[in-house]
Amino acid sequence: MSVLDLDHVFFLLIVNIGIAVLWGNRPFVGKILTLLYILEGLSILTSYHVLLSGAVLSSSLTFTVMQQTVQWQLGVSGGFFALITFMAAGLATWFSSGVWARSYAPIRLLHSYMALNVAAMLLLLASNDFLGLFIAWELVSLVSFLIIAINGGRSAKAAYSYILYAFLGAMAILLALIIIWNATNSFSYVEVRHHWSTMSVNRQLIVVLLLITGFGIKMAILPFHRWQAPAYAYVPAPVAAFLGAISSRMGLFALFIVLLQVVGIDVIQTLWLPFEIINMQTFLLWLAALTLIIPTFIALRQTDARLLLAWHGIGQGGFMLLGILSANALGTAGGIMHVFNHASYQAALFFAVFSVSYRTGTADLDRLGGLVTRMPISFTVMLVGIIGLAGLPPMNGFVSKWLIYKALLDEGMPLLFLAAVIGTLGTILSVYKLIHNTFLGQLRLEHENIKEVPWSMSIPMMILASIVFITGYFPGLLLESIAAMQSTLGISVVDYHLGGVNTGKGNLNMIVVVSTMLMAIGMGALIFFVLGNPRKQVTQWDNYAGGHFLTSDMRYQYSHNFYPGLMRVISPLYRNTIFWLESAIVSTVQFMAHISYALFMQANYLLYLILLVVISLLWVLAV
Amino acid sequence: MKDVIPIQTNNTETIAVSKNSKNIYQQAIDTFSNFCRARSLFVLHYCTGCGAIELPPAMTSRFDMERLGIQPMVTPRQADILLITGYVSIKTLKRVILTYEQMQGPKYVIGICSCTVNGGMYWQSYATAKVLSEYLPVDMYIAGCMPRPEAVLTGLQQLMKKIEKGEANSWENYFKRYDYYLGNQQHLFGDTWHTPTDILEEARHYHLYGAESTGNNTARLIKYTVEHDLTKLDAPLREKDSMTKRGKK
Amino acid sequence: MSGQHIFLELILMPLLAFMIGLFLVLMMRKVRARIERRVGPPFLQPLWDIIKLYVKKMQISHGVIHDLGIIMLLGGYITAEVFLPVPGMSGFTSQGDIITLIYLMMVPSLGLALGVGQCANPNGSIGISRALTAMLAYDIPFIVVIAGACLYYGTTDLTEIIALQKSQQWGLLSMPILALAGLIAIHAMLGKEPFEIYVAPAEIATGPMVEMSGKYLGSLFVMQCLQIYTITVLYTSLFLGGGYTWFDFIPKLFLVALLPVMITVIFPRYKTDDVLRWLWKWPTGLALLGLAIVVLQG
Ligand code: SF4
Repeated sequence: MSVLDLDHVFFLLIVNIGIAVLWGNRPFVGKILTLLYILEGLSILTSYHVLLSGAVLSSSLTFTVMQQTVQWQLGVSGGFFALITFMAAGLATWFSSGVWARSYAPIRLLHSYMALNVAAMLLLLASNDFLGLFIAWELVSLVSFLIIAINGGRSAKAAYSYILYAFLGAMAILLALIIIWNATNSFSYVEVRHHWSTMSVNRQLIVVLLLITGFGIKMAILPFHRWQAPAYAYVPAPVAAFLGAISSRMGLFALFIVLLQVVGIDVIQTLWLPFEIINMQTFLLWLAALTLIIPTFIALRQTDARLLLAWHGIGQGGFMLLGILSANALGTAGGIMHVFNHASYQAALFFAVFSVSYRTGTADLDRLGGLVTRMPISFTVMLVGIIGLAGLPPMNGFVSKWLIYKALLDEGMPLLFLAAVIGTLGTILSVYKLIHNTFLGQLRLEHENIKEVPWSMSIPMMILASIVFITGYFPGLLLESIAAMQSTLGISVVDYHLGGVNTGKGNLNMIVVVSTMLMAIGMGALIFFVLGNPRKQVTQWDNYAGGHFLTSDMRYQYSHNFYPGLMRVISPLYRNTIFWLESAIVSTVQFMAHISYALFMQANYLLYLILLVVISLLWVLAV
Repeated sequence: MKDVIPIQTNNTETIAVSKNSKNIYQQAIDTFSNFCRARSLFVLHYCTGCGAIELPPAMTSRFDMERLGIQPMVTPRQADILLITGYVSIKTLKRVILTYEQMQGPKYVIGICSCTVNGGMYWQSYATAKVLSEYLPVDMYIAGCMPRPEAVLTGLQQLMKKIEKGEANSWENYFKRYDYYLGNQQHLFGDTWHTPTDILEEARHYHLYGAESTGNNTARLIKYTVEHDLTKLDAPLREKDSMTKRGKK
Repeated sequence: MSGQHIFLELILMPLLAFMIGLFLVLMMRKVRARIERRVGPPFLQPLWDIIKLYVKKMQISHGVIHDLGIIMLLGGYITAEVFLPVPGMSGFTSQGDIITLIYLMMVPSLGLALGVGQCANPNGSIGISRALTAMLAYDIPFIVVIAGACLYYGTTDLTEIIALQKSQQWGLLSMPILALAGLIAIHAMLGKEPFEIYVAPAEIATGPMVEMSGKYLGSLFVMQCLQIYTITVLYTSLFLGGGYTWFDFIPKLFLVALLPVMITVIFPRYKTDDVLRWLWKWPTGLALLGLAIVVLQG
């Protein structure tokens, strides 16, 4: 409530950046930074009840430009996202604070970029008008470019294509802001909302489309989805977990604020695309559904565990958008809740995958297998993570997905419901491949002496896994702040309790579901262990092979091309048109850059003169 | 090396389990278990030789094994009965033994056809294992060249009676007298013979370890595995370096 | 409801499910035998099989996850039974709707998949790969059917769906096309020919069951009983008005199971690609048609 609340956090963040930049190389710094992130998270958490009541945390940071006072205040939605950010950043730093840091040379760079990212994100989350949003947005783009490019190589290439997209996005947002300014003479959310209807319908349409393009690029919605997977996959472990968990959700946050708070879902529902082909909301919903399905099925084809997870990250973004745009209390709640849930299990999964590649040196799904006997903790974390990602009970992913399914059914959109379920089914297929090829099946000779990762890496994983389980058991913990968010935005509020929701037409009580599951699994264990003789464990060579004697020089494992039948049927659908388009744009931009570079270096005044003449001639002719 | 291998032919008697140690509940459970075992038999037909052709009529509508609770199964893990349906060549015998060892006890072996009893018309063949019961504990022979389905079913019914009475325990002999069976196997396949299943460890686990479980022949097997750093006899996956250098057959 | 009552239902519902499932399995085997002009198994054969497998003296495991998978499989189905309303008992149906139930039914499959994966047998892994592919194939028409039914009834609560059918008319009469598509989908769900790609004994040595022995295989048999029961009860609740009493409920279950069995015996097996194509073409088309009718009716 006090003015200094947010300043407090900003101050801590500056300390954070300072420590990272000055002493980032020292071995203990990772732990200090972890503590600082936790402290920042706690300082928001302690005043969280204030946020829940609808008030804001404000900061003294402010400036005035064009009679617009830009200031930063954290509302409940910003607070919710900020907590996720601190959770992701803190655990990622923890993961990298111990033994891992010794194997990574540019650790100072990593810590500094991470701190910068968190600070920029907090600025974005606390922004209170379009100008602040835009400034923070550009900052976020810049620092995420830096952190993606940290390793060089493939990720730098991806970072390059990301920054191009981000430029496009920034231009789109800028254009939208210009149109908005022209119409309303203001950047404040309240004013814009108030004067929204003064804009012509076409303008409204263009503004919405531009904003969706601009912010959607960050969360890789459909036509702009190519950059993200390589950018998030080929980075160091903590960065991948951090980026995968929260970074692209900044786009979702901005869209959430813009579409729900400023424009309003009712306006979206009344907007029609040209010729009244399709309603804006339906259009966006189908865009979200495609963003869910297509990347998910691309993920199914990956053989690199990191890429697989990164593609799923894009797909799950579609899920969130699907929920948020459903104009239903349950759906919005599900969409927002999925942000948290996704952050928790995605970070856990990235940690598990990177733990495996830390020990084995590879994340190639065709070169792993049978590691469960060697790395049981990583296996457990991955198991919890994949159950969450696949959206099966009892993990938290199920709750948010259930809310979205229910919302889509309630709103009478069965085909979108079908699309959501197809996305989930594709996810189940692909995550089983992930866990099977990594941890199950036959252990390879060269992995015989592999050990579990050290505690500094496994504890953050386990924390995340328990968060995944606990928020699945008691979804009310999250629904409380989501309901507060909905009431501050003035949209319909979800009727929740600690265990789930009541709709009157089909309820969900996760406490009952999970307790029953635990009890039933206990019963299953009782049946299994009490009846029958105690079991004897055999080796992996003592295995049925049609009478063949298995030896260690011959692999007896099924991992490559895991779903051949399915692939034969759907592979004609994977046509990389969008990839071609994107590479064409990238090379055009590179070409233009070369030309302008050549022009600049040549300093050929004659050429400039000719160009000037040509342009002025054209201008004269045109006028 | 061959001179140390004892060839014994009389192995039909079962080593008696003292029944006095069991109280009445255990006896009741045993009786009920045997009752169920006799009523549900999963068959793995290892179709060597000619006799396999008699099984399809035994299974299908003419004679219908399923009405007796007998079902064909696919892998040794699932099966109770190993049906050897004819002459067993030495190469095949290796696979038969591998398959047998992968089955879960109580397990029964039935030799169909005269060839399994004494080599039949392949008596003079250099490549045929003559007497099946020297290598595996056989519960029942169904003689004939080849026996008709009626004979097969009668044999199976006799086995079921034996199971219900709790007398079909010859599978325990494989553990209790492993040294004897291993010796005969080594006689055919040579000193390097070993299978992925660790019989001695299993014998200990299931309390079937007897005085005759180990002997000269198992000593030879253990020596071989130690020499080749093939410590499969001590749960390989827990042992360092056990996976490397596993020899081929 | 009192705690005692709940506890009773927790025990009773899975137990009943298992018992009815045993007879459903028996019926399947009997019908198959009769169509093949055989006598078929004796009356309690499925029970003898399961007991025999549990009392096997040797039990082998491939590791902790192998055991855990089996436990998850049993636990998952036991949970699903408690969320499935039957005459006189509704368990926790009001606390988790049909969507929850569908996802609960995937938990045992995941358990099985994990357990099989630990067995380190490629036949098993191929089986799971095919099973998951088949799931993708049959769940699409099935989900359309569920969506259509939920839209029609306006609720996802199974008890309410049953009550609505009792007060108006059965889903079978009000949504015949959806009911037909649902029947095909549950046929594929039961994993019977021609959709039996993941067992395929002659090809991949019974796939997931390849390394299962003793009580592991026994648990799979138990799962088969529970699976048939769950699927038939779900279908009955959606389209046949659930059960008024046990006396009409059980015949309905047997009827639902009987139709796929009659068809299954006369078919060989499709290959994986054809299962996908066929299920995505015919039942999905039918289901979408049924859905369109439901939507147009308002
Ligand atoms: S006994 Fe006769 S029928 Fe049987 S395997 Fe020997 S030769 Fe063939």
